[in-house]
Amino acid sequence: MRVGIEGVGTSHFGRQPGVDLVDLAFAAVDEAFRAAGGPRSVDAVWVGTVFGPAGVAQRVLRAMGLTGMPVLTVENACASGTTAFAEACEAVRSGRYGRVLALGIERMGDGAITPEPTDPEGRSGLALPALYAMAAARWLHEGRVTPEQLAAVSVKNHAHALHNPRAQYAGRYTVEEVQASRMIADPLTLLQCCPTSDGAAAAIVGPAAPGQVTVRSVALRSGAPWNHRSPHVWGHDVVRDTAVAAFAAAGVGPEDVDVAEVHDAFTIGEIVTTEALGLAGPGEGGKAAAAGRTALGGEQPVNPSGGLLSRGHPLGATGLAQLAEIVWQLRGEAGARQVDGARIGLVETMGGGVSVLDGNACVVAVLEAP
Amino acid sequence: MTRVTTPDPRPRVVAGAEGGGLVEGRRCTACAEVVAFAWPACPACGGPVEPARFGPEGTVWSATVVRVPVPGRTPPYGMAYVDLDDGPRVLAHTGGPVPIGARVRLVPGGDDGDVRVEVVG
Repeated sequence: MRVGIEGVGTSHFGRQPGVDLVDLAFAAVDEAFRAAGGPRSVDAVWVGTVFGPAGVAQRVLRAMGLTGMPVLTVENACASGTTAFAEACEAVRSGRYGRVLALGIERMGDGAITPEPTDPEGRSGLALPALYAMAAARWLHEGRVTPEQLAAVSVKNHAHALHNPRAQYAGRYTVEEVQASRMIADPLTLLQCCPTSDGAAAAIVGPAAPGQVTVRSVALRSGAPWNHRSPHVWGHDVVRDTAVAAFAAAGVGPEDVDVAEVHDAFTIGEIVTTEALGLAGPGEGGKAAAAGRTALGGEQPVNPSGGLLSRGHPLGATGLAQLAEIVWQLRGEAGARQVDGARIGLVETMGGGVSVLDGNACVVAVLEAP
Repeated sequence: MTRVTTPDPRPRVVAGAEGGGLVEGRRCTACAEVVAFAWPACPACGGPVEPARFGPEGTVWSATVVRVPVPGRTPPYGMAYVDLDDGPRVLAHTGGPVPIGARVRLVPGGDDGDVRVEVVG
């Protein structure tokens, strides 16, 4: 059974200290129900969140009258929202449920993620920017990317967000300005790191009907050990392997992708990911960003929403925010950031933080226009 | 900082015979995978493991300097992934910046529990 997207919705993204999670979630779910039409009810709900307290899913759902049906809460770090989406799709595809809500919610509070003290590398003080910084430093050392190409990803995504009224940040920066911003973890500067965000995003899925964006495939994997034997930087191989599975199931290849939302928590992340997905060849990811190939108006736009770097990164909501963008793109509803004639869209989210693993989880979804 | 009551998950570094530190880890008796942790089974294949010590020297695979506040830490501080000779990749504190490819040596464990390396020579 082909799964269709009945409707998507999101809250605004950003630091929203006065806005309760209930209101963020309602903004997303209300928009998704309005887009879907029909009854404001579902047969089951999957909720992705990382830092939500116990019971947070039922707490926000009961405030909007969604009670009684099965509610399942999932956590896969930054891929929690896309994990909720993957499970919702599978529940429909397998016939377990008819109409399912996937919801991602997160309040990040007042600061960056603190390293997890029950994890060896977290206990050692490995802030997440440092993990990505070491991938960036390694690729710089190998000559696989240049400092200017890293910065070009930030320039591009901040410019994309100028056309996204829901984005946390937006701006016209130069490569020099990105490089001159405050150093966070060498070589990654402030404008190369995603902000701390509050937000929610939702999708309602069901058996595909005419006129809907449909799910050609969705794949989910968790990372194998990443260590001294690994040929690539952290996170590369789990993205590659998930993408291979997703493309095989979709019956299309990376060359068929018209628009993609990928995990750019840090600039190096987008470059590694575009290469791992096969959107760019080995060593070509940075060049693609610097040359405008992945910009709006380019051959294969990546992160037209502004990405995590600029739209914002409320962890559990991020994957569904990416999905919402791709659904709007494939429906021709993306306004000034519309990729003309987009037929095949891709969503990729990668979550990490567990030592010695090449990522906690990666989800890749391939979607098709109505 | 949140008080942590769980056992310290970091690799344990003991003093080696020649002055450097050695990581107390495990080697898989099925696939020969090595890890810097006293885990009950091999993370690569699930096979049985035996105690093994690695170090004291290795090569910096990559490195960074953390310049943002982290609970319980004072920035800036250097960190590196170090591939120990014939051993696993370990995350280590370096003090300041170290170049990729640098030869480093494990420092025997201090009171703070961090894995630490110093540049050789």
